[in-house]
This record gives sequence, structure tokens and C-alpha cells, in this order.
Amino acid sequence: MRIRSLVPVVLAVAASCNKPAPKSGESAGGTAGSGGAIVVYTAASVAIPIRAALDTFAAREHVTVQQENGGSLDIARKLTELHEIPDVVVLADYHVFPNLLMPEQTTWYADFARNRMVLAFTDKSKFATEVDSTNWPKILQRPGVELGRANPDLDPNGYRTLLTLQLAEQYYEQPGLYGRLMKLSPAKNVRPKEADLVGVLQAGEFDYIWSYESLAEATKLRYITLPSAIDLGTPGDTDMYAKASVKVAGKTRKDTLTIKGEPIVYALSIPKTAPHPQAAEQFVAFLLSPEGRALMHATRLDALGTPVIIGTGEPASVRAAASAQ
Amino acid sequence: MTHAGAGEDRTLPRSLAAHRTASIVAGLCGSIFLLFLVAPIARLVAGGGTSGVSALFTDAELRGALWLTAVTATLAMAAGALGGTPLAYLLARRSFRGKAVVAAVLDLPLLIPHPVAGIALLLILGRESAVGRVLLHAGIQVAGSPVGIVCAMVFVSAPLYISAAREAFARVDPRYESVARTLGDPAWRAFRRVTLPLSMRGLIAALVVMWARAVSEFGAIVILTYNPKVASVLTFDRFTGFGLTEALPVAAVLSILALIPLVALRALRPDHGAGMDV
Amino acid sequence: MIEVVGLDAQVGAFRLREVTFTVPRGQYGVVIGPAGSGKTTLLETIAGIVETQAGQVKLDGRDVTGEAPERRRLGIVYQHGYLFPHLSVAENVAYGAADAAFAAEIAERVGARPLYDRPVRALSGGERQVVALARAFAVRPSVLLLDEPFSALDPRSRTRLRRVVRDVHREMGTTVLQVTHDFTEAGLLGDVAVLLDQGRVLQSGPPGGVFREPASAYIAEFLGAENVFAGTVRALGDDPAALGAGPDAARGHRALEFRSGPLTIYTVGDAADGPTHAVIRAEEIVLSRDAAATSARNQFVGSIEEIAVLGALTRVTVDVGGASLVSALTTRSAEELALERGARVCASFKAMAVHLC
Repeated sequence: MRIRSLVPVVLAVAASCNKPAPKSGESAGGTAGSGGAIVVYTAASVAIPIRAALDTFAAREHVTVQQENGGSLDIARKLTELHEIPDVVVLADYHVFPNLLMPEQTTWYADFARNRMVLAFTDKSKFATEVDSTNWPKILQRPGVELGRANPDLDPNGYRTLLTLQLAEQYYEQPGLYGRLMKLSPAKNVRPKEADLVGVLQAGEFDYIWSYESLAEATKLRYITLPSAIDLGTPGDTDMYAKASVKVAGKTRKDTLTIKGEPIVYALSIPKTAPHPQAAEQFVAFLLSPEGRALMHATRLDALGTPVIIGTGEPASVRAAASAQ
Repeated sequence: MTHAGAGEDRTLPRSLAAHRTASIVAGLCGSIFLLFLVAPIARLVAGGGTSGVSALFTDAELRGALWLTAVTATLAMAAGALGGTPLAYLLARRSFRGKAVVAAVLDLPLLIPHPVAGIALLLILGRESAVGRVLLHAGIQVAGSPVGIVCAMVFVSAPLYISAAREAFARVDPRYESVARTLGDPAWRAFRRVTLPLSMRGLIAALVVMWARAVSEFGAIVILTYNPKVASVLTFDRFTGFGLTEALPVAAVLSILALIPLVALRALRPDHGAGMDV
Repeated sequence: MIEVVGLDAQVGAFRLREVTFTVPRGQYGVVIGPAGSGKTTLLETIAGIVETQAGQVKLDGRDVTGEAPERRRLGIVYQHGYLFPHLSVAENVAYGAADAAFAAEIAERVGARPLYDRPVRALSGGERQVVALARAFAVRPSVLLLDEPFSALDPRSRTRLRRVVRDVHREMGTTVLQVTHDFTEAGLLGDVAVLLDQGRVLQSGPPGGVFREPASAYIAEFLGAENVFAGTVRALGDDPAALGAGPDAARGHRALEFRSGPLTIYTVGDAADGPTHAVIRAEEIVLSRDAAATSARNQFVGSIEEIAVLGALTRVTVDVGGASLVSALTTRSAEELALERGARVCASFKAMAVHLC
């Protein structure tokens, strides 16, 4: 029976002789699509509008589509660390493209929709009948109100919340308001992503959460809109928004990144090594076309009237669709 | 002497040779499967072990997460053992109406997707629930606190313990207890002096399973309590935020450190219990 | 004293129905029955391990029905012994004993003391039973229940332990109830025999009476009576030789004639005419070479079918005109008679040795 005891040793030796994992940046040829399906990685906050567009596209072109939702940073990590390359990447924060994905994964991206910060709640929330766009700071500061927010290091929604609160302090001219509002959502009220807040809100553990308008609509939550000067929702108000800035974690834990207030703009791209480039181009062209924009409006996503393409090397059909009216 | 066919030269009787082949095949399959289980963890430790161990001295957040995991998992194990052992004993010894239903219901938490379990616990223990309100009065908020972590851990790991403990009790012939009772022990004392020692091996194995399951839980915990972070949540955070290079050390050092209690628990198993035909 | 009245109990497939019997204080009761008759269930119900569904159990006059086993002051020894494997021999014996000195004493008495240094797992079957007995006796039970405690032992250990149990039982005045499927054991040991079959008591009483006067052919056969015949009985007419005279006739005992096939057997009793069974114990049949003038009312001539020598006893089967009679006699006598197969013998037995049931 000596043979039997040798077998595991042999296998262990064989297993230890594997090649090291490729560093990020080297293409290991990983792909995400299975068979002929187009794979789209989407930020969770626009999952529903993208789903609607994908379904329409799939029915029309007779292709199969696969959608995976996640946080914008999660998605970026899938490409850079795990080498799972989809056909289309849709992110809630265009910064992720230049910060993490360019130029290794792609050379261009298109801003195609905007969103704005809202304060979402349910009928069960405390003072739900009272709260509105002007009295929300006072309501939130009442005792017993639980306020939830997303992790700024993981979810753009998280740091956008901080920016909005800073802008609120300036807008309402109440020094110290930022600090007081931040105290209302301490560490125990933080969740990794905005999407994780919704369930907790619906279960009654939070009274209010910081959310996007598109998400609040999609999850059928009640919400109050905030003054446009602070809700990061108007693309023209860049200067005003730039008055706020936050530090979040950078590429490694020792780095920090300073993010200035900016309008919330959703961006997408087709990775260089997408498994089905033609089908990807067709879909993106569809999405950016007037018809695609109308579809997204219908699902309560504020699609830009004129998508903006940054970078170079974008497919011609995509450029054409973006300029079509 | 059996007649050998032309050209045959059997050195072993047929049945012995077949047995040897079967042994080799079984050994091969077993080795491959063992490799499948061990290789990923070995790769983890190889990739992040050294940086993980050194991070123990420099990374306060990591130390905190490991400590919190150890404390909450141990508390969960204690709670599960306290509440689950009587239940396991009942299931092993008594028959009652609806017993099959009760046993099946106890297995349900294993079936439920973990985030769903987290939400379910939130509905029962959150500040809006009846239980939650009472707890809040006493100054305990379940969500966002280590209490929530322990609750999530107990929910997902206790069914494993009850199942295994029930088996351990069932393996002890009830007649040992009967004899002890006739010798003057009331039921609880017969349990303590006879059944418990005889089932201790199986119970400790059950505790190990429960503790390990509690340590590894993520989905249910992150819903209830994201901060303060246990090791599983920290690993996820580091990976999502910073990628493999930051996540590997956490995973590696968790694997290394978890070995200590696992080995210790296994070593605690007493000698008797096997060889019960006495 | 063990008193069981109308006991009903059930464990899985084993059921007890209306079981009633008494073992007087300080006496030795034996429960006999085939496998599956509910013997172990009976013991466990008396011990309180199995729940009573109806009826009563009284120990030493006290109604213990419904009481927990630890309050009943009894001991139980199973066939298996069930020594606690995680305790030493000494700890096993002393497990329930309030008086450590007495436990040591009783261990000495039954022969368990020499085993004290041995691990429980290394004991032989006989040694385990010795320890189990010591453990049970050590708590000074007033009632001891034994579930076939010797059946897994070799004959020498069996004999020795039987004697030990008997002796200690007498010394301590313990009431014993032992289950066995070996009816010779019952005959050897018991003051009271209880026949159990399919959960019911078929017959109970002193073993001798049960054996000599089984209540039915079934019982007779179960108890190993070799000569059981089915036939019809009728009272004999005014045949003076048959009737007899004197006190028996006056008591209502009549002369009876029993026919079964080729056999005609004379007996006395008060049985009514009709179908019945006749039982004659092998020990009651006397063999002789020639027909002699004896007082035995029944004499048959036949040839020996079979001779089985079992140590000091010999069983001889005689073919009498088609029917078989089995006779038990000492091997010595068989040798002196020079019995052999095919030999012509005379088998005779008294009318009073015939039991009708």
C-alpha cells in the first residue's frame, strides 16, 4: 500500500509547480462571456434602466444578454484583478475609468446619464409625513432618527453623500452642520454599498438613507429632493459643486484620493479585450441613440441629451449614435 | 493447484489483485479531492502568509477584526451549545408528534441564502420589532453592534451543531442511561455522568463545525452589522477597495490563526467513546 | 415483592397486555417466553424505564406506577451488562452505592474484586456480568431484575454466576425476577414461573406446577414436554377396574379414557368429555425389557426408534404402534437395560402421570 501514500505527495508536488498569477495589467486572456451571450457589468444604481435597454436590444437582435450588477469599484476590480472582462462596463462614477481602468482595460468612455442625491425613506420612517426639501436637516437631527449611508471607500454614493453634506453646510450657511449630520450616521450605520442600505431601510432599522434618485425610484422608496445646489445633479453647476471635497482611500490603503464635488455622471465603455466586440458596439450605439435615451428616461434615469465621449479609439457607430438627435 | 490458462501467469489470486487496484483508485480519488480542498488555502497562505503575519503587528484594523471575530464566534458557539444541546438530546432520545417537522425546520437556516437570513433576523431583532424594542430599552441595539454579529453567527451555525450533536447522542445506547437511572441517578445526573462523557467526542466535533461556520459567515453579518468589522467583512472590504494585494494577507492570516483553535478543539476529544461494546 | 396488575405497555413492536402476576418478597421469579414475547419490555416497565399505559406496578407493597426509576430501589442487569466504558471497574461498582464499604464487600462476594485493576474494555463476557451484578447489588436493591444475564456466557461461567446470584439473593433477601428463554434454567432457579407469550401471561405459578400441569398443549410444548397428544377424552363407564373406588371417586375424579390415533391412555381427572390434549413428561415414562405386573395403568410395547445420550441423562424414543413416546432415564439405567435401536421394550406410566389440558 505504499503506492497509495505516494499519490498525495506526487499530486502536491505537481500542484506547487504552477505559474504565478499574472500581475494586473498583463492580459491573461480571461473572459467573462459564456457562449454567445453579451455580458454587461452594471453599477447597481442603474441596473434597472440598463436591464430594460438590454431586454429590448436582445429581443430585437435575437441575442442573449447577461447582466451582472455590482458596486462601481467591485466591477473595476473584476477587470483589473480577476481578469473577468465583460463586453460593456457601466459605472456610476466616470472617475473610475481614468483612475483604474485606463489605459490598460480601455481607451475611451462615454458619459451618458446623470443622477442626483436624494434622501430616501418609507412610510414607516419617523416623521415621514413631515419631512420635505427644506426641513430635512432639522428632521434628521431629532432624537431617535437613524440615518444610513454607504462606505465612501467602496461606493461613489458614499463619498457623494459626504460632498452633499458639505455643500449643505455652505448652502444653508450653518457652520458645523456637516459635522452634526455626519454624527447622525456613525460607523454602525454604514453599509458597503447604497444597495445594501435599501433592505435595512425597508426592515425599519434605518429611517432615512442617502440614495440616488434613480435607485429610490427603482426600489419604490419615498424620497425628498434636495436643493439643486447641493444634490450633484446639475451638470452645469460644476464650479458650485467643486466647493466641496473629500479624501477617500486611493489605490492602496496608504494612499488617499481627494475627490472634489462634481455632478453625478454615469459612464460606460467597451473593454479592449471584450469577447464580443461587434455585439457590444451595437448595444452601446443603441443605448446612446435617441431611442435608447428615451428608454432610459422611461425607467427614470436622467439620460443626457448629448452623450459625451472622452478619450480616443471609440467605435464609429458609437460616436455616430452619441451625436444623433 | 489451480489450472492456469495458456500464457497466463497469475502471481496473485484474482480477488486480491482487484482489491489492490480498487485501493489505488480510491487512494487516487481521495488524494485529488484532498488536494481540491487544501490547495486553495495553501495558495492563500503562500501568497499572503508572510505579509499577513507581519501586518498583525502593524495593522490595528486587522488585529481588531480578528479579535472581534474570535470573540463573537466563541460567544456564538457557547450560545449555540447552550441552547442547542438540550434540543439535540430531545431529538435523539424522544419521539413526539411532529418530530420530523421540527428536525426539518431546524435545518432551514442552512438553506436560506445568507443575505436573506440577515434580513430575516433584522425583521425579528431590529429596533422596530417586538424583541428589538425590549432590547433597546435595555440599551442593546442588535444591528450595528457585536450582538448582531453573534445573532447572525448563531443563526447560520447552530443547525449544524444540533444535527451533529444529535448524532453524537444517538450513538450512545439509551440503556446506559437506563442503568444509571436504576442505580439512583435522576435523569439530569444520568445525562451528566454517563451520556455526556460518552458523547463528548462527537459533541466536540460538533462544536468545531459550529465555530468554524460562525467564523466564515459573511452575507448575514454584513446586513446586520457592517461596522465593527469581523475578519470576513474586512477581507471583502479590502478586496473591493484595494484588490488582491490587500485582501490576501487578511485571508491568509485568518486561515493561519484559525488553525490554532481548530487543532486545540480536536485535541480535546477524549479517549473513550470509541469501542462502546462494553 | 413484585406485584404486577393488569399491566399494559408498548415499546415499538413489543406490547404487553394485561400482565398480572406476583413474586412474593424474597423469592425468585422467572419469566419464560419465546423471543419477541415482550420479556425485556416487561422488566423495563417494572423498572420504570418504559412507561405504563395501563395497570399497576407495586414493589414491596408500594404502588410505584408512574414513579421515576431512580425512586424504585431496584437493580437491573441486562444480557449485555452495559458497564460504563468511561469508568473503571471500581467506579462502575460504586456508581450508585451510598455505602462504599458495602460496595467493596459485595464486589468481593461476587468475585468482582480481582477485576478492579483491569480496564472495562478488556473484560470477558463472564467478567463483565460479574461486575454488572456487583454494581446492581451494591445499591442494596429490594428488587433485582435480570434480563437473560447468563445466556451469552459459556456453561461454566453460567453455572457459577447462577449460584452466586442465588446465594446473594438469599443472603440479602432481594426479590428477583429473571427473564430467560431457557426453561430448564427456570426449573432450576425459580420459586415462581411466569410464562409470557406475545405480551400476555399464559400461566404463572410454582415452576413444578407449571411444568407438570401446563394450561395448554402450546405451553406444554413450549416448556419442552416431549409427549403431547391431541385426542378425545371420555369418561369410562361402570367398569369396576376403571372406576376404582375410595376417596378419589368420591372427590369427583373419574376414570377417563383418552384416545389419540393408535394410543389409548388411561387417566383420572375431572375433565369433561370432548377434545383435549394429554401431556406426559418424559421423566414419568418407565422402560422395561418385558411387560411386568406393575401398578402403572398404561403399558405399551414398542421398539426403540432413537436413543440420545446427554451426559448423565438419556432420552429414548419408543415407537408404539405408530405413535412415539419419549422417555427420560439415567444413562446408567439405559446401559443396564442394554437398550439399543430396534430393541423391543415396554414403556409404562401411571394414569396419574397424565395431565389433560
